[in-house]
Amino acid sequence: MSEIDYDPQQKFDGVDDDIEAVVEDTELPRRLKTKVYRTVDERGAGVEDADQIAKAVENRYLDTRVDPLDPVGTVSAQSIGEPGTQMTMNTFHYAGVAEIDVTQGLPRLIELVDARKEPDTPMMTVHLEDEFAENRERAHEVVWKIEATRILALGDISTDVADMLVRVDLNPDTLQERWPTVDNLAEIVGEISETIESKLGVDVVQLDETVIEFGPDEPSYRELLQLVEDLREIVFKGIEDIDRVVIRREDTEESEDGEFVLYTEGSELGNVLGIEGVDASRTTCNNIHEIHRNLGIEAARESIIEETMNTLEEQGLDDVNIRHLMLVADIMTNGGGIQSIGRHGISGSKESVLARAAFEVTVNHLLDAAIHGEIDDLNGVTENVIVGKPIKLGTGDVNLRMGSEPARTDGTGEGAD
Amino acid sequence: MAGQDNRYEKARIIGARALQVAYGAPVLIDTDQTQPILIAAEEYDAGVLPFTVRRGEQ
Repeated sequence: MSEIDYDPQQKFDGVDDDIEAVVEDTELPRRLKTKVYRTVDERGAGVEDADQIAKAVENRYLDTRVDPLDPVGTVSAQSIGEPGTQMTMNTFHYAGVAEIDVTQGLPRLIELVDARKEPDTPMMTVHLEDEFAENRERAHEVVWKIEATRILALGDISTDVADMLVRVDLNPDTLQERWPTVDNLAEIVGEISETIESKLGVDVVQLDETVIEFGPDEPSYRELLQLVEDLREIVFKGIEDIDRVVIRREDTEESEDGEFVLYTEGSELGNVLGIEGVDASRTTCNNIHEIHRNLGIEAARESIIEETMNTLEEQGLDDVNIRHLMLVADIMTNGGGIQSIGRHGISGSKESVLARAAFEVTVNHLLDAAIHGEIDDLNGVTENVIVGKPIKLGTGDVNLRMGSEPARTDGTGEGAD
Repeated sequence: MAGQDNRYEKARIIGARALQVAYGAPVLIDTDQTQPILIAAEEYDAGVLPFTVRRGEQ
């Protein structure tokens, strides 16, 4: 949103020209100005009050801003590192939301900062729209579209060694349950037979309404067992990587009397977002790379902040300022892709040879740099500490000029050179 | 410009001035202090120091 086309008077009835002038006069960012407008509108405050509110918010805002030359990175590292030492090291697994096992605590934090390709326990939180969120039956339709259905869930398998046949006795109740949109049992069984035929390359014979039979082309005991083995792997419905879906009724911001939310074990965001009934705007997963692929880098940044903050909060360490985590997320994502913190990411790809050498495998880095004739411009902190120069931070980066008369008497700061 | 310096700038100015005082520069105010750093701090508060901070493009 650009500064120019924003009109608070259109959005809030209680805001008039005077109030707008008062609020726009502050140094606040757009987001906070909007919040001030909303508050003024809700409380029905006059110009005087609005002015006081705006001034108070501005003071607080300026107060909490970081000074120029502050070593924010170092402060962030310490502010995340210290609570990290308090995290219980052995909370490797912990029953999280709705009986789904989610990695938490220190292992989860390490996982996020290392930007692992695949989290230890991938999971998704799937929100639903409209009637899917309110009606249990409709919500279940979505569940069966997501959860992978394999043959063991549908019926019993028996092998007839004498006739070299595999017989599957499907359970009609389960079929009806898992294909709620299809009324005709024969149609479902037909669909299953087709899937088996195309996946295993065999001819399927239907014996009864729900009993199907097939066998290898040539009589072979090994082949028969192999067929059974392969049959177990076939996914008849749903998404392969998602083993389990838990459905819960929850109070959310969207609806006060509760709506159905799905939690999945395993994640495949790209496929799930396309399913009918899934609210793509609220559905997320805990795999930052998957979010990056499907929703872009800004979403990935946002989810790194969310996930790290939640991990800390779950351990009762919620007094870590979110700006530290924002900085980490910014550093990880500002190249347009996700970079990990550490050897393979940020620290390993630094410009300066000395900075890289200071981090790990010192000799190799120096040797390579010498062979390739690398030049170090000494711009960073680490390099300057190594060569013994003042660093460009804090008092080290203040550029003083001395004049011949007091610098501030005239109020302009001009002291002559 | 009193109050416009942040803490690093203030520290740097007082530090630079204390060094001058320690090397025998004339003190610009009346003070009971004897340590250069405290003299410098008082001078800073009095607003008599001829230092400006260059902050690049402003």
